[in-house]
Formats: sequence, structure tokens, C-alpha cells
Amino acid sequence: MRRRILSGRALGAGCVAAALVVGAVACSSGGGSAAGNTVTNGAASTASSKQPLVIGISLSLTGDFGDTGKAAEKGYELWADQVNKSGGILGRQVQLKIVDDTTSANQVVTNYQSLITQDHVNLVFGPVSSLLTVPAARVAARYGYAFIEPAGGAQTVFDLHLHNLFLAQASPVLDLGQSFVDYILSLPPGQRPKTAAYSSVDNPFASPVVALVQQQLQAAGIKTVLSQTYPSEQADLGPVVARVVAAKPDLVVDGTQGEDGYETVKDFVQQKFSPKYLFMPNDASDPVNFPAQVGMSNVNGIYTADTWSPLAKDAGNAAFIKAYLAKYGGAADQIDPTSAEAYTCGELLQEVAAKTGSVSNATIISALHSGSFPTIEGTLSWNADGATNGHSGLLLQWVSHHLVPVFPAADAVTAPLNPKPAWGA
Amino acid sequence: MHTFVQALILGVLTGGVYALMSTGQTLVFGVMRVVNVAQGMLVILSAYLSYTVHQKLGIDPFATIVIVMPAMFALGVLIQLAFIRPVKRNRTEAGFEQTLLIMFALAVGIEGIVDLTYTAEYRSITTSYANSSWTVAGYTFSVVRVLAFALAVALLAALWAVLSKTEFGRAVRATVQNPTSARLLGVDTERIGALGMGLGVSLAGASGAVFGLIYPFNANSSYDLVSRLLSIIVLGGLGSVIGAVVGSLTLGVAEAVVAAMISPVWAPFTFLVVLIVVLLVRPQGLFGTVERGAL
Amino acid sequence: MTRFSRSLQLDSWLVRVVIPLAVLACVPFVLTASWLLNLAVLGLMYAVLASSWNLQAGYTGYISLCHAAFFGIGAYALALWAGPNTASLSGYGPFLLTIPIGLAVGAAAIPIGWVILRTRHVTFAIVTITLLFVVQTLAFNLTGLTGGSQGLAVANPPFSAASFEQPFYYAMLILLALCVVIFELVRRSRLGLSLTALREDEEKARGLGVPTQPLKIGAFAVSIAITAMAGGVWAYYLTFIMPQYAIDPLLMVGTALTAFLGGKGTLWGPAIGALIVVPAQQYFAFRLGASDLYLVSYAAIFLVVILLLPRGVVPSLGEWLRRRRSAAAVAVPVADRAATEPVGVTQ
Repeated sequence: MRRRILSGRALGAGCVAAALVVGAVACSSGGGSAAGNTVTNGAASTASSKQPLVIGISLSLTGDFGDTGKAAEKGYELWADQVNKSGGILGRQVQLKIVDDTTSANQVVTNYQSLITQDHVNLVFGPVSSLLTVPAARVAARYGYAFIEPAGGAQTVFDLHLHNLFLAQASPVLDLGQSFVDYILSLPPGQRPKTAAYSSVDNPFASPVVALVQQQLQAAGIKTVLSQTYPSEQADLGPVVARVVAAKPDLVVDGTQGEDGYETVKDFVQQKFSPKYLFMPNDASDPVNFPAQVGMSNVNGIYTADTWSPLAKDAGNAAFIKAYLAKYGGAADQIDPTSAEAYTCGELLQEVAAKTGSVSNATIISALHSGSFPTIEGTLSWNADGATNGHSGLLLQWVSHHLVPVFPAADAVTAPLNPKPAWGA
Repeated sequence: MHTFVQALILGVLTGGVYALMSTGQTLVFGVMRVVNVAQGMLVILSAYLSYTVHQKLGIDPFATIVIVMPAMFALGVLIQLAFIRPVKRNRTEAGFEQTLLIMFALAVGIEGIVDLTYTAEYRSITTSYANSSWTVAGYTFSVVRVLAFALAVALLAALWAVLSKTEFGRAVRATVQNPTSARLLGVDTERIGALGMGLGVSLAGASGAVFGLIYPFNANSSYDLVSRLLSIIVLGGLGSVIGAVVGSLTLGVAEAVVAAMISPVWAPFTFLVVLIVVLLVRPQGLFGTVERGAL
Repeated sequence: MTRFSRSLQLDSWLVRVVIPLAVLACVPFVLTASWLLNLAVLGLMYAVLASSWNLQAGYTGYISLCHAAFFGIGAYALALWAGPNTASLSGYGPFLLTIPIGLAVGAAAIPIGWVILRTRHVTFAIVTITLLFVVQTLAFNLTGLTGGSQGLAVANPPFSAASFEQPFYYAMLILLALCVVIFELVRRSRLGLSLTALREDEEKARGLGVPTQPLKIGAFAVSIAITAMAGGVWAYYLTFIMPQYAIDPLLMVGTALTAFLGGKGTLWGPAIGALIVVPAQQYFAFRLGASDLYLVSYAAIFLVVILLLPRGVVPSLGEWLRRRRSAAAVAVPVADRAATEPVGVTQ
């Protein structure tokens, strides 16, 4: 009895189909990249000054980081408009090539690979979130591209020891808590809080910040009555907040990321507990979503931190805000800091071009490592791993329903509000 | 002790909300042997619908259920007629893998549509009483959660009444127990299947409004829900409504108590351990029936 | 029977295994562009995942949804073993490490399988989903071991930029060859008959003396072992892993979906499904992602395929071809027709 060969036939058909698909894709790519760019890698981009300067960027326009991705897109596009209006960079018009990585690590690798080796972009800027920055930075490093990135500030990024990476923020994530620590320790000992509770979601942006604050405040004599971490997929924060409430601390430092920040505040309100000091390094600094989710009447007195504020007095900030509002509308205190960070990436590129007369990847890398550059985020300089030097960020607080810098004094718009008013005030 | 009782209260209230979501899912399985992995996404969809109705018409979120539940019922029937029935008709074996995949593809599709319409921004349904709470004997009861629990009790009581007192309910129970015998006795199992699916999805509809009041949500929020709901119905026993209720309360209480008394880190883990232990001892779940053959 | 079909038996090892593998081995010389090879590596990875998953799902009929957990365990095992410093053996060390990792994870899967394979199909599927989330939770919470949400760095591959993807492509191809060879060996043996009996009706098979539990556990363990090895290679490719990407429910669903689309239980079905779908998906996300339509079109395509080709591409194509030929031929005796059923196709 003979076995028939149907799977063999089908197998043959399948192979042919697959080969056709692969062939079609290969042909279309060959045709596509031949048109337009005459250069094969960024190093020779200074050769033709009439060619547009193409910058490839992968952003999370959909998925978990969709909002941040869209804010970054706004910042990048605003910068591209501005720079093109004033003649472009070294006479070349800037063209942004923004693609979506759907908040997936595999996709971000594919995107930068394709941007660099298929579309042959001249330069690249970074994606949003440290989680995606790490694999992306490695791809860029492999091809010798400079990697100026707006959002990868976690220590894991700098532990890669990549020489081509530069964070476009005034300080890395770890320093977000520093300004708060400095403020508390600047108070006379009699006025400082006596007890503190530390609660944090387990992720690279929140837990290291909270841990650092705990370490320093504990060393200065403030008693720790609770220290806890909860998993990021924790759906119900009621019990987590209940533990904090039960410890009755003067000061609460709560590290969150995303919707758990909003839930935490709501749970504090429901459980009728208002600490004298409440510091939330993330989420409370979102000028639009935070009051929308927790209620504008509940925000006063909450401390938060960021590397940029529309009220900061850094060079070019006022002009940036004016241009942003002209292009996108809205109000100044609704601007997502990610847009400012994306804008800064572009500013840095402009300054390197002005300083050195070239925008090859090698020049960018060496120029940024040797000097400091004024931007709307402050004057930036980097260490060998790409972390920004100095700076401990701004301590912000919600006062009279507005988010304003309150410390250090040089950047403060108003004095800090203590103790935190009751919920609903 | 105070913390323990407070956690218990919180756990029971949360369990009520999960009960609403999971009974719908277990009902769908019982009636049609379809594992509705899209239930989580349907809850989120209902949350969005409630949100929109609440925004546009200004009515209280609990009142939006009057509109959302029938809409979701219709959607459930539609899904069954358009996607499940053709697959089931083509083969004598249920092909549960196909229906699993179809429900998953639907969940992804709905997620895409919701993302397109509403963007990735987190939403929550806010009302004047969203953050208020009552304090009784030193324990705080969040107003929203108590109302949600009351709604769950009311709807589940209504469901029980339908299942045990009406002709339709008897037909549903017969189909759940043994579809072949039910058909032999004259039950139109195809129609029951469609209506059962509609009923299951409408329960998701009711829980959507409640979910939106308690938790901020966006299109991605369904993934957390999916594993919890599936674990609940397995613990309770596939197809058993009582099982879903008991399972939900167990989940709510276990998580809240462990989070409050031990550490939030291990809370979700506890429930999963309970589930695995129960399955080792009693593979059909607490209230499930032992079936011959593939299931 | 013509002389041609006598000399080239289409049912032979040559045609079913060797030639397709040889074709795949030549791909890096045809698609030399890095971005194309990147798509090919990811496509092959899903082909390995789908094919090794198919070793269990196709032969025993049990749908396991915890394979992604073991993919992640393999990834973490490699990251912990190969460390964050430069890779050993001029970059090939980590590839060799996947062998002991695969064996260890496979061995660990035996007691786990013994526990969870006591349940039947539907409950089994749900228990495996639960297991997936347990492992993900552990990866997040055992921060001392896994680095928690901060992730773990893997050794940096020292391969040159021009041919970076090639070693990874061949590593994945070797794993795929392993899956295919095992599938074919089993199909031609008594073991294959026992497994087919188990799949068709477990109760009756047990009644006939087929050792159903050991077979199920064995299939589970082998399939898990290869999945873990693929996880190790992936960790090395990405050079940095985090719990939500290493143990990803979406990866699990992608594996099951491509296996189904290609044809669960066939030799090349899952691989073909993966090789077409995954590069297409990555490419479409790159070109169209920002328009937000990509999720919807993804879902729509899957729905259409599931409804129109419910047994998957390969068996449906085979079925269509057979119907065309038997329509043209004279009435075929019943015995012969039974022999023409593709082996291993379930429904």
C-alpha cells in the first residue's frame, strides 16, 4: 500500500508561495532604497549639501506607551519645522522618518535595523522608554550611529556602557528623587517629618528612585515605618494603600507608573488619609492626565519631580513654548515633558552642526562627549556611559491647582506648600 | 486584626465585581463549550460604552447599564451567529481550538477598533461620589464598590431566577448538562446557544460600567483580566455559575488579605497556587462535573 | 506510476526534510540585506516555536499555552549563564550553551507535565495559561535572580555588523531541523501510531494498552526543551531581556496561531505559517503601524483564514489539490482513498 504524496504537493506549493513573497519583498526594497538617498551610511552625509538630512525614529505610537510616543512625535516635528524654517542644518532640509514600534522589543529592533540598513537614514534619534531604548541602542551602536535619546533614563541604559548614547534630559531617572531629598533636608530639624512610608511599583523608573530617597532620609534620622514594593500587574491597589494608611506616616513617598498612580491617590481619598507630605516622582507630573483622573480638587500639595517644566527659565524655553502653542494649541502647563525632551534631541544636533560644521555620526559622538550644550532642558553634558552630568531635576508641586517648580530656590516660582491640604481642598 | 477585617471587606467587594464578569464567561462555556477569551476585552468595551453614554447623556454610570446591557446582548448573539455557528456546523467535533482562536482574534480586533476610536489615553468614569467612602465601625467602605457589589448581587439573583424558574432557564441548564440529550428532548440548542452567548456577554456589559468606575482603563487593560477570569472559572468548575461566584469571592479575598497581611508582591501568586492545588485534588474544579472524553 | 515518480518518491526523507532545509540554508546568501535577514531570523524563530509546539499539539492533541513561559526560562537561563560580559568562544559559546539548557529544562518539564497532564483538554489549556502567568510573576518578583522589571543584560555578540544575523539564522535553522527530523522519525515509527491513537480517542487508546500518560509527558517535555533552546538564542540576539517580553502571552498566542494557520499536525505547516506571517507582520507594523489600523487588519486576516481555511493552509491546500485530481480521475477504490488522507491532520 503506497503512501500518497499530498503533503508533498502542498509542501511544494507552500514553498513556491513563500519564495514568491520573499522575492517580492526583496525586489520592492531594492527599488525603494535606490531612489532618493545617494549615501549608504551616515558617515558620508556631509558629501551632498542639497540632499535632505533624513533622521529615523521609532516611537511607540500604539500600545502601552502610545501617549508618550505621540508626545515625543509632537516635539520632534515641532523641532523639524523650526529648523527647516531657518534654513535647515548646514543648508540641508531635515526630513523625519517616524515609524511605530507598537511598544514591542522585537519590533523596535526590526525598526532600527530597517531604518539603518534598508532606508539608509543619515541619523537616528531614540525611542520612548528605557525598556525599548536598551535593545535599540545596541542596534545603533553596531552600525556606528550616534544615539541621542529622549526617554531612556534608567540605570539599565547606562549599564550598557555604550559610547554612542546620549540622554536628552537634564538628569537621569535616578536623580528624580534627589531634589525632594535636598528639600526635606534643607528644612530645620524641628520642622522635618518624623516618620516616613515608602511604597513603590516594581519597575526601573520607580523603585530605584524611591529606594534612593529612603536610603538618604533614613540616614538623616527620619524613621521608616513601612517599606513595600508591589508588582506592576497589581490590579487592585486598595490593600497596598491600606498598608500605608495603617502605618500612619508623616511623609509618604509613592513610586508609581501609569494608572496605578491615579488609583493610589483615589484610594488614599477613599480611605480618608492625607499625609503631611506626599511625594510621587512619576505620574503626578503629568499636567493633563493627573488632575483629570484624580480630580482637580485633590491635587494640591502633592510633590513631584521632573527634569523640565514650562515655567523653568532655561535658554530657549519661552520660545519653545510659544512655538508649541502656535502649532498645537492648548495651554503651556499641558505640555507633556516628553515633547520637550524630543525637541532637545534636535537642538543638540543643531548645536553640534553649528560647532563643528558636520553631522556625521562620528563627529556627533565626539562633539557631545567633549563639551556642554545649552538646551531648553538646561545645559547638558554627559559621562562616558551617556548619563547626563550634575543636575538633580526640579522639585515640582501642585499649588493652587497648577504644577509649579518650588525647589531649588533659583528655579522656584513660589514657596512650597506645607503641610499638604486635606483632600478636596 | 483591623487590617485583616478591612482587607476581608475589600476582598468581598472586589470579588462581587469579578463574579459579574466571570459568570458570563462560565455560562458561555457551559452552553456552547466555547472558552470566551474575549470576555476581558468585552468588559473593557462595555466600560468604554458606559463612559461615552455617561459623557454624552450625562446620566449616572449605573444607569448607563440600561443601554449597555442590551447592546452587549445583541453583540453576543451576533458573534455567535456570525463566527461560532458556522464553525460548529462544519464539523461534528466541536473544534474548540478554532473557537478559541476566533474569540482571540475578535479580542484583538476589538482592541484595535477601541484604540482607534479612543486612543491609548487612560479613561475612567468619574462621578461626584467616585472617591467617597462610608465609615462604619471604624472600617471604610468605598461607596462605588458597595454599589457595584449590590448591582452584582441583584443581577446574579435575577440570573438565578431566570435559570431556575423559567422555561428558557431550564433549557439552558439542560444544554449545559448534556447538549445531545437536550436536543433529543426537543431543546433548540442552536437558539439556546445564541441566547446564552448574548446573556453571557450582557453580563460583561454590566460589569463594564462598574469596572470603569473603579479602575482607570485603556485598550490594553484586558490582558490582566483574561488570566484572572479564566483562573476563576476553572477553580469554580467550567460551566458552573455557583462555581464562578465562589471562585470570584475566593480570588478577591485571597488577594486582598495576602496583600494587606503579608506583602502585595505575593498576592496574585497566592490565588494561582490555590488554583493549582485544587486542580491537583479535584481536576474538574470545585463545582464542575467530571466529563467523559476530551473535556 | 511513471518512472519519474518511482525514482523521486515524494514521500521520502529527501523531499520532505532534506530539500526544504537545504533551501532554507541558502537564504542568507540570497537575502543579504541586514534588515531582510532580521525578518528572516524572527520568522524562523516563530517557525521553531510553532513546530516544537506542534510536536505536542499535533501528536497528542493537547493545546498547551505555557510554552512561552519555558521560552522565557530558556532566555533567562542563557542570560544568567552567559553573563553580561563578552561572549565565549568568539561568540559561539552561548549557542552551545543552549544544548545543556534545553536538556535541563526538558528534564524539569517531566515532573511538571506529570502534574498538569492529569487534567483533560480544556482544563489543561487553562491550567497552562495560569502557569504562564505564574512564571511571569516569578520573573518579576525574584529580583535577586532575574533582575526583576529592570531586566537582565546578556553577553554582547562580537559578530560584525555586515553578517551579524547569520549565526542566529543558522542557530534557529538547526533547531527547526531538529523539530522536523523528530516529527518525521516519530511519524514513521510505532510511536507515531500510538500517538495518533491517543489523539483520536484517549480512552480507547488507553483501553488498548497504549501508555497514554508517559507519551503525553514525553511529547510535552521534548516540545518544551526545544522551545527553551529557542528562548536562549533569542536572548542572545536581543542582548537584553525583560520579564514582560521574555514571558509574553502574545508570543504564546502568536505561536499557536501560526501553527494553526499553517496546519496543526502537519510537518511543515507551522513553519510555513510562521515564515509567511511573522515577517509580514513585522514589515507591516514598520510601514503601517502608525496608522493604528494594523491591529484591526491583523485580526481581520486571522478571522478570514480561520473561517475559510479552518484546518490551516497546508491541509486545506492539500485537500483542494486532491479534490481537483480525483474529480479528473476515474472512481478511486475506497481503500486507496483512505490511504490518501494526509497523516497527522486532525480536523
